[in-house]
Amino acid sequence: MASFASTVAPGGCVAGVRRCSIRVSAAMAVAPPPPATARTHYEVLGVGAAASRGEIKAAYRRLAREVHPDASVSGGGVAGGEDFIRLHAAYATLADPDERARYDRAMAGPAAMLRRAPAPSFRRRTWETDQCW
Amino acid sequence: MLRERLRTVGVRAACSLASSGILPARLFFTVVLLFLKLLTHTALRLPQHRLRLRSQQSPQSGLGESRFLGHLLRTVEQACRMTEQLYTVASDSETTGEDKSQMSFPDVAIGIDIGTSNCSVAVWTGHQVELLKNTRNQKGMRSYVMFKDDTLSAGVTGGATQEHGHEERDILSGSAIFNMKRLIGRMDTDEVVQASKNLPFLVQTLGIGVRPFIAALVNNMWRSTTPEEVLAIFLLELKALVEMHLKHPVRNAVLTIPVAFSRFQQTRIERACAMAGLHVLRLMPEPTSIALLYAQQQQQLLHDNMGSGIEKIALIFNMGAGYCDAAVTATAGGVSQIRALSGSTVGGEDILQNVMHHLLPDFDSLYAGQTMDRIKSIGLLRMATQDVIHKLATQEHVEINVDLGGGHKVSKILGRGEFEKVNQAIFEKCEGIIKQCLADAKLTPEDINDVILVGGCSKIPKIRSVVLGLCKKDDSYGGIDPLEAAVSGAALEGAIASGVTDPSGSLDLLTIQATPMNLGIRADGGNFAAIIPRNTAVPARRDMMFTTTHDNQTEALIAVYEGEGKQAEENHLLGYFKITDITAAAKGTVEINVCMDIDATNVLRVFAGVVKPQGQAIPPFIEVRMPTLDDGHGWCGQALAKMFGSTLDLAAVPKKLHP
Repeated sequence: MASFASTVAPGGCVAGVRRCSIRVSAAMAVAPPPPATARTHYEVLGVGAAASRGEIKAAYRRLAREVHPDASVSGGGVAGGEDFIRLHAAYATLADPDERARYDRAMAGPAAMLRRAPAPSFRRRTWETDQCW
Repeated sequence: MLRERLRTVGVRAACSLASSGILPARLFFTVVLLFLKLLTHTALRLPQHRLRLRSQQSPQSGLGESRFLGHLLRTVEQACRMTEQLYTVASDSETTGEDKSQMSFPDVAIGIDIGTSNCSVAVWTGHQVELLKNTRNQKGMRSYVMFKDDTLSAGVTGGATQEHGHEERDILSGSAIFNMKRLIGRMDTDEVVQASKNLPFLVQTLGIGVRPFIAALVNNMWRSTTPEEVLAIFLLELKALVEMHLKHPVRNAVLTIPVAFSRFQQTRIERACAMAGLHVLRLMPEPTSIALLYAQQQQQLLHDNMGSGIEKIALIFNMGAGYCDAAVTATAGGVSQIRALSGSTVGGEDILQNVMHHLLPDFDSLYAGQTMDRIKSIGLLRMATQDVIHKLATQEHVEINVDLGGGHKVSKILGRGEFEKVNQAIFEKCEGIIKQCLADAKLTPEDINDVILVGGCSKIPKIRSVVLGLCKKDDSYGGIDPLEAAVSGAALEGAIASGVTDPSGSLDLLTIQATPMNLGIRADGGNFAAIIPRNTAVPARRDMMFTTTHDNQTEALIAVYEGEGKQAEENHLLGYFKITDITAAAKGTVEINVCMDIDATNVLRVFAGVVKPQGQAIPPFIEVRMPTLDDGHGWCGQALAKMFGSTLDLAAVPKKLHP
């Protein structure tokens, strides 16, 4: 249950048990900086804190090609699109000037306590229910 | 008899798959389930067949029946093959792509655009997309299935008619079912179904939220069918056409769907495909397939050193016979992001109906009931009206002279201004869709680089002026064929999703899709709490906290809806389940987490469970793949409300606001 230690809001993500070991708290744009997620939005996108909007967009596109489950180039990111969801959350926050400012303010507040989250678990396939009827 | 035969085929097929080791035990279960579903489907129609055979001992009709049964049996056998094939796909993707190249034959998914009025199919030929033509040299084939004497034939081969001139008249004779894309997955309370009641075939409604009764006229008899079945027969013919062209079997397909299609309707399309032996690789909202084509063209420009490589934003407006939708796409470097999607169920069919009512104001009272005379008159009026609308695209005035029989005549000169006035509500709706799309994408008309107009109705001058006016552009993007774009995009996606790579880099494309509708649950009384808002990038995962509304409430109902309404009941119900064994406590103290997850293939899963205040989740949780509803969702929500009232209600916990 280590995954639930990483939750921000009071309460955990029930999907975490099966699907996501890392709670994607950053998915909520208004959420404060995740104190326990592995990386900041800037680190996820691989850009500096002073990056321009254009740089952020370019980084998002470049990384989307690597982590999007549809990207045909490599084997894609982790099954289930965990990496892409994290990438998109980072992009969605930083590409919006207002939300970026809010995020930056929150980050400057309580020093972010960085802790490495466990690797995403194997995604269970359920072929019976995956078939569409 | 039929049932027994079906059962034998089904069980034999399942057993042989199991014994040959192709089918593991857990899949055996699926196959059996599959046949049970098919059985219940066919069982529904059995009493009618027997009745008909008894009451009318005509050898002709018997022949027709057996032909029809043959069709069904073929369908079942196809479905059987399809199960086997699903398993192959499963093992394929579990080996994560490394040995995908070792395919025995070029198993590239085909692209299909099933339109309300026309249908087309395209394939990736190795270096480009090619639209296939039918035996009559048509790329766009009329979407219908003709039920005639002892034959069933779809519009792919031109139905029973060889001469093109007679095709339209035959389609309107009552023996053909068309517009199935408007009817599929809709309940009889739906206004689109109600509006379909003056089509030449029988659409009977009871108005209680069940599927409508649909029937075609065969030898003076209404023979029942379903939109899924009609679509499956059409797809079977289409598949045969493709296989004839490619000279190898086809299994996978990418189909385009309207943005306004609910997830329930999507499952109906998947079901029709399965009945036709096709595995759906993707269902693409129509404008996103056009966005893919646009991204490819922009990438091509860049390769030819004619593009600048900076982000280009396009607004896509697509209006066909049955639906209309819009999208905003931002593309750069082969990556396109769908920024916003919106859609509605207005289309050319509504324009046609409006004009028909305008030409003959007492249309409804004149033609009440489904008599043979009425069918013939309506058919004549429909054809004349279609002709007028087409001519008005290029002419200012069109003269109509049509004798409807029974002393009714329509003689009139219709001007373009009058036509636009009659359809004003439709044009306003189009405006609304585009405005919403721009607002959702947080863009102004000045941000748009290109306006892409596609679909049959994009030829109507007023539609063009409305769209271009809103985007403040003088002309639309020229590089795209309005009738072939959707299917070409689907074939491109088919190639990309099948893992095909092209040395010239023309398949090196990625589309980041967005959700077309809000997804959420019922909470706070009858309200709708959106968990994944519309236009969220896919794959997506969002969660929300809820709490109990009564003291010592130990169970809670999670009713999942999809749509834009603020009230849950205004939206489409996708499914429901209960959370049980909630620890008894004062209301508002228990926290229930509901998480929604959409993966890259657009599968929606809902997770729910109780969590402790300090953040610890209490197992077990529930995972439900949506939609779970199979039928009758028109009254299901009401039945739930009647049964449980507010006893199992939830309340949303407001998100804590941070400075």
